[in-house]
Amino acid sequence: MDSVRSWLRRRIDSIQTDQQVRTDGGTASEVSQGERRSGLGRYLDSDAVESAPFWLPSFLLVGLFVYGAIVWNVIISLTDYEGLGDPQYASFDLENYRQMLQETGSYSFTNAFVNTIVLLVAFTLICLAFGLVVAILVDRDIRFENTFRTIYLLPMSLSFVVTAKMWLWMYSSNGGFVNRALGVVGIGPVNFIRNPDPNVQLAAVVFALIWQFSGYAMVVYLAGLRAIPDEHFEAARVDGASIVKMYWRVVIPQLRTATVSASVVLMVFGLKAFDFLRALYGNDTPAVGTDILPTYMVRVAFGDASRIAYGSAVAVVLFALAFSIVLPYLYSEYRRGAL
Amino acid sequence: MAELELDDLTKVFVEDDGNEIVAVDGVDVTVADGEFLVLVGPSGCGKSTTLRMIAGLESITSGELRLAGERINERKPADRNTAMVFQSYALYPHMTVKQNMSFGLEESTDMPAAEIAETVTEAAEMMGIGDLLDRKPGELSGGQQQRVALGRAIVRDPEVFLMDEPLSNLDAKLRSKMRTELQRLQDDLDVTTIYVTHDQTEAMTMGDRIAVLDDGVLQQVGTPLECYHEPANRFVADFIGEPAMNFFEVEVQGDRLLAEDFAYPVSNETLSTVGDRTELSLGIRPEDIELRTEASSPHDFETVVDVVEPTGDENNLYLTFDPDASEPDTFIATTGGMNRIEAGQPIVAHVPEDAIHLFDADTGQAVKNRSLDDAETLGRAV
Amino acid sequence: MTQTRLDDDGLSLDRIGIYAILLGLVVFYLLPLEAGIVTSFKTMRAYGQTAPFLPALGGFTVAQWSSAVDQLSAGLFNSVLMAVPATVFSALLGSMTAYGLTNIDWRGQVGVYVLFVAGIFVPYQAVLVPLKRFWSQWAPLHIWLEPIWNLTGLGTDYAGLLALTITHIAYGIPICTLLFRSYYKSVSDEMVEAARLDGASIRRIYRRIILPLSVPMFAVTLIYQFTQIWNDLLFALIIVGPGDASVITQSLIGIGQSEAVTNFPLQMAAAFVTALPTLLVYIFFGEQFAKGVTA
Repeated sequence: MDSVRSWLRRRIDSIQTDQQVRTDGGTASEVSQGERRSGLGRYLDSDAVESAPFWLPSFLLVGLFVYGAIVWNVIISLTDYEGLGDPQYASFDLENYRQMLQETGSYSFTNAFVNTIVLLVAFTLICLAFGLVVAILVDRDIRFENTFRTIYLLPMSLSFVVTAKMWLWMYSSNGGFVNRALGVVGIGPVNFIRNPDPNVQLAAVVFALIWQFSGYAMVVYLAGLRAIPDEHFEAARVDGASIVKMYWRVVIPQLRTATVSASVVLMVFGLKAFDFLRALYGNDTPAVGTDILPTYMVRVAFGDASRIAYGSAVAVVLFALAFSIVLPYLYSEYRRGAL
Repeated sequence: MAELELDDLTKVFVEDDGNEIVAVDGVDVTVADGEFLVLVGPSGCGKSTTLRMIAGLESITSGELRLAGERINERKPADRNTAMVFQSYALYPHMTVKQNMSFGLEESTDMPAAEIAETVTEAAEMMGIGDLLDRKPGELSGGQQQRVALGRAIVRDPEVFLMDEPLSNLDAKLRSKMRTELQRLQDDLDVTTIYVTHDQTEAMTMGDRIAVLDDGVLQQVGTPLECYHEPANRFVADFIGEPAMNFFEVEVQGDRLLAEDFAYPVSNETLSTVGDRTELSLGIRPEDIELRTEASSPHDFETVVDVVEPTGDENNLYLTFDPDASEPDTFIATTGGMNRIEAGQPIVAHVPEDAIHLFDADTGQAVKNRSLDDAETLGRAV
Repeated sequence: MTQTRLDDDGLSLDRIGIYAILLGLVVFYLLPLEAGIVTSFKTMRAYGQTAPFLPALGGFTVAQWSSAVDQLSAGLFNSVLMAVPATVFSALLGSMTAYGLTNIDWRGQVGVYVLFVAGIFVPYQAVLVPLKRFWSQWAPLHIWLEPIWNLTGLGTDYAGLLALTITHIAYGIPICTLLFRSYYKSVSDEMVEAARLDGASIRRIYRRIILPLSVPMFAVTLIYQFTQIWNDLLFALIIVGPGDASVITQSLIGIGQSEAVTNFPLQMAAAFVTALPTLLVYIFFGEQFAKGVTA
């Protein structure tokens, strides 16, 4: 106890010197602490303002380049700008949107729109189903689990441009692996990439995308499975449920959140498939009929025709499509308190 | 030197939908210099909010907070001369014990590094963690982390210590050990301390005085024994004490208090305190019920033991007037652990008149508290 | 993990079946890569004669690789010049934003945060036209920063690369903010309060408490973000365009295309040169990448 007292004495001494220092030089803080402080002073001191240096630069960057650009794009879509001089912001109409609906044929907006939906739905559903099955397999006390997971996720780390090149070779009708394999069973060779039937082309693209992203669905589902307590598996087993029933009735219903978030992310990746198609078909436009909205937009806006305003309008539709998927998701996340 | 005054302190939270929630409603307490005040109440009663207002972590909606006579409502947390110990200890996981303890001095004073190091070492020695200075919190046991958290508060050399349930993450044994240690430390340092807990045992054993809060409203401020023996109202009577006080709703009829299962005759002296009230709550502490084998006075009641809860040194008996009911109403009496009593056994409960409490049935205010021979037993300052 | 999720013990037929399926999947995921690698080391002759997934013993050559490196070296340099600062800045800004929106409590922060998160999902097409106009008409860096292009000898094409870098920073902030925020939400409020009571300002708390605690999260974010930026093609096509400042994904597209016969060995070698940085990152930090994509 003696040590405590001597320590205290020393501390008290230092307090006194501290206070002297304060009376000498500490007037500024005194003023700000008094009741005289105005409402504005209070406001400037609030946490929102103090934290502003942290989020404001980002907010301005994102505000300008993301949201500012989106709004600007909508405005351009209402003009008839074709890349010469400046857009005329004098008169606005929905002419571009009307044109979209009127075009027909394999280079048309309608065709690209339908392809986009087909690609998104097929790609997302198959990835999810495939990923779920693999996740269930990996979740069953597998040795080298991390190694398997790392390998399955590997294609996702590659650029679309790289994977497109690889699949170009895989699909090649001139010695590519797929056609060689088909040749063994007496089919082919099939020209997948330049097939006259756009559905074959689309299927080939979807298959390659599934190769690239099903590992992602697997990882998300695996995390979801891990979050389910062992007791649920035990309880189902005690209840005498078969393995299939256990997964169908106990496990899969609990993977709803994982399914929703994986679908949203997969669709977003699906919409980024522009890079893949561009690399697959080189600097040409995608072959007849396989346009999806992302490639269609770039082609009409930045191709030879340079229909910039029309391209903007296509982009608005694409944006609306993406956000009709994302906004409900974000809202449900917000309701869940997950944001 | 450092008297802390809470003058009509009020906190109103505004929810997103515009609803206002009064979390703390006009709390008035003066904590004397060097006093150990325990702020106790059930969860959600506003005790932590009160503490956070004192620390400066919540703004004060109305009322005034004064330290040594000076208003500190608007001061930044770091300028209030307080130090806080958190429930989770809130140690910085990436810093060593030494860095944890130095952090506050580095951030809030101009103290030279050498002096900081010296102060930290001394405080660490004092807390018995001198050999842990180079460890990180993750490598320490719960009790050691607790000491570091205390040490970190001590080096700040505050005028007021604020402690928010600091012992609740410890296991029972360590908790009672730290309880003693904390009291001794506070005694030695003689720093004004406000200690928040929901545990009435901690409140009873640690505080110089305790302040009982319910629903944001201060119910009573007093020494632990005052609150125990002379509760200001039914809430305090119920909250303080384990097992809790028994209550019976009674009606005044002549010189008798009529309950559902019994009639309790009272003296004129008691009647005079009741005044013209007719509805009352009769309270009796479990240890004040004497158990007898035969009824021999009007304050003796025949009951049946419903359940026996042995705690070793004592038995908690759940007694009932109505043994045939499937879920009988029971009240508790405690008796020595050596007495062999079995469930189903009939027993006579003696409820001495000088031990009963009476509360207004509407307002809950105490009408009559038990009589005590000696006011000093209440631990009032003499 | 207990034995709960097993239906049998030991190496029963079921278990062998599972491992067989998992190994089959390994083949499925690695085959295109394997075929690409072996092909990249073949001479054109051997390529025509051997199976796509088997190495050619007689026709081994590194000529395709050296040719690919030659053709891609400029793109490689430009991609590094663009991707490294873009990654670092978007991670740093994301961390600061997440801190400002999470550990400091103020009304309306969730609303601001939702705007950031929604930004993750914006298809690039929706902003291409305005971005191109912005960088060419409104912020003509090739004119504004002319002395720099002259001094460094990079040439004005590199203005496009700078514009691309800034664009990637802006578009990286939302996902980085999301990654950091989910991490910062788990940081104890009491600890931040303790630091405030200790006298640290909001800035000092970030510097001395939050930033040191974020190191593992920086690893995750930097790796994920680097992969995303390195792999992008669309922004580069529109903002940089053809020229000296083309990034590697742009260069890769054109390689081996112009020849009469598609030169797959060269294309494969080039694909692997392009993928090498992300492959290395993935091989060494696969765990962090997995965390990044599942957040």
